[in-house]
Amino acid sequence: MAIIEVKSLSKEFKVKVKEKGIKGSIKSIFNPNYNIINAVNNISFSVQEGEIIAFIGPNGAGKSTTIKMLTGILYPSNGTISVMGINPSKQRKKLAYNIGTVFGQKEQLWMHLTPYDNFKFFGAIYDLNDNQIEKKIEEYSKVFDLGKFINTPVRNLSLGQRIRCEIVASLIHEPKILFLDEPTIGLDPVVKENIRELIKKMNKEYNTTIFLTSHDIGDIEKLCKRVIIINNGKIILDDTMRKLKYNYLNKKIIEVRTKRKVNLHGSEEYTILKNVDNCLKIEIDTTKSNVMDIIKQIDEDEIIDINISNIPLENIITEIYKK
Amino acid sequence: MLMEVKKQIKISLLSIKYSIMMQMLNKVTFITNVIFMILNNASFIIQWMVLFNIKDNVGGLSFKQVILLWGIASGTYGIAHLFFEEAFNLSKLIVNGKLDSFIVQPKNVLISVVTSRSKISALGDLIYGYIVLLFYGITIKRFIIFTFVNICGGIIIAEISIIYNSFCFWFVKADILGDTINNTMLNFATYPETIFKKSVKLILYTIIPVGFSTYMPFKLMLKFGIREFFLLIISVLIISLLTFGIFNKGLKKYSSSNLMVSRI
Repeated sequence: MAIIEVKSLSKEFKVKVKEKGIKGSIKSIFNPNYNIINAVNNISFSVQEGEIIAFIGPNGAGKSTTIKMLTGILYPSNGTISVMGINPSKQRKKLAYNIGTVFGQKEQLWMHLTPYDNFKFFGAIYDLNDNQIEKKIEEYSKVFDLGKFINTPVRNLSLGQRIRCEIVASLIHEPKILFLDEPTIGLDPVVKENIRELIKKMNKEYNTTIFLTSHDIGDIEKLCKRVIIINNGKIILDDTMRKLKYNYLNKKIIEVRTKRKVNLHGSEEYTILKNVDNCLKIEIDTTKSNVMDIIKQIDEDEIIDINISNIPLENIITEIYKK
Repeated sequence: MLMEVKKQIKISLLSIKYSIMMQMLNKVTFITNVIFMILNNASFIIQWMVLFNIKDNVGGLSFKQVILLWGIASGTYGIAHLFFEEAFNLSKLIVNGKLDSFIVQPKNVLISVVTSRSKISALGDLIYGYIVLLFYGITIKRFIIFTFVNICGGIIIAEISIIYNSFCFWFVKADILGDTINNTMLNFATYPETIFKKSVKLILYTIIPVGFSTYMPFKLMLKFGIREFFLLIISVLIISLLTFGIFNKGLKKYSSSNLMVSRI
């Protein structure tokens, strides 16, 4: 059953256009011109209960605008949204009891309070009694390993610790859906990995549906089974990660280290990416040629080391963005 | 409905408690802020003392009565800024997209926003109001009326600020208008209503509605009457309805933003 259902959703913003200089400023007072920006343009998709979905796209693609409409922050210009059967624009409070949000770029916690006091405050916002709040704090404190800093003011925590607390604060009322808008922004690789593990755990243990936006390919690759790519306000791809890799991983990278420099020239079947210091790097289009045919062109006695790899997912997604 | 109101009040009080706690983190700053605000307000007595040396009354009011007016202006301002400080910063919150975290919570957005921050020097204003009441002559009845009118006036001041700041939902630079109205209201609040002509009075009960926030509470304090009492309550209710109506209408126009911000 679809837990999120979006049909023909659009959001327009009216932006004032001003000509250059002081003349332009004066003119814009008496005769203002406006541009209509279609931040989200007629998109439709659905999300199943328990899914972890990546909603990605370049800057200004419409990701945050969409997530803000799904959470009731922005009103859509057109189209319909149903989140657990609730219309976010009309039943904002009812929706809020069922969803959690973490905006990586925006602080929800009170900086001068400890995580413990923050959780008590957020628990009270969701009408939980003291016993329920204490129980939840104890449970999440173990899952998210908050023990060491639960009584330290938030302003003194590291970014990674703070994001963990942000996630706990948004989970205190056991939401069915968690919206994560760039939750790993600015974090180091170890902390990123921790956060990803926690998100996975949450999905597994509480069957929480996760709706994730991120620019970090690691988040998408390691967490999500499905990806929606949005660009210029339109959905340009909605597929499983497996199909995405299968359809787009038709290029291989061969890196060969040889005793002497190899004389190979590019062709329609392959491209030489690098050929310096006895190291050769070739990109092969497997729809036109196969890996072995290319390797056979190199004298096997000359080969010291060889490595065959897929094109990084990041490159694939960049290619899709460019389309 | 009643239960929901009870829960909202509980959260708002908790929020105010936390924001006051934040302001009290630094003891020295806290105490000096409060004391200097009391001294700042007290310094204005001197100009009135000079004036009353020349004249017996100003607009029919004695020195004590003018100082009581000051006490009410200070007390109402204190209530407004101590409990609803963000009402005065609302335009910046709207323009910078800082309402997001309040919208995703299952509580009233406007109440949650305005009670999320306190201005601790406003405690000095409030204390000054009660010092003035002591000087005017305190009785239990006067204490109760003074507290009541301060709460009503404080709510009205915050609401007027919310109304003007809410224009930011439609016009980006409306914060200037909000700030101007707040300052103008404060200026007019410290002068007796009786010195103004009818045309000015009309402005003081409409565009710059200091009449509702200071003059009506002041009249009630001078002479308590049931009619005036209910008029003040009705004024608070009507202005409240108008405030929530305008804010909620504007909220539909809210466009958020992706600025990096912290709640500090």
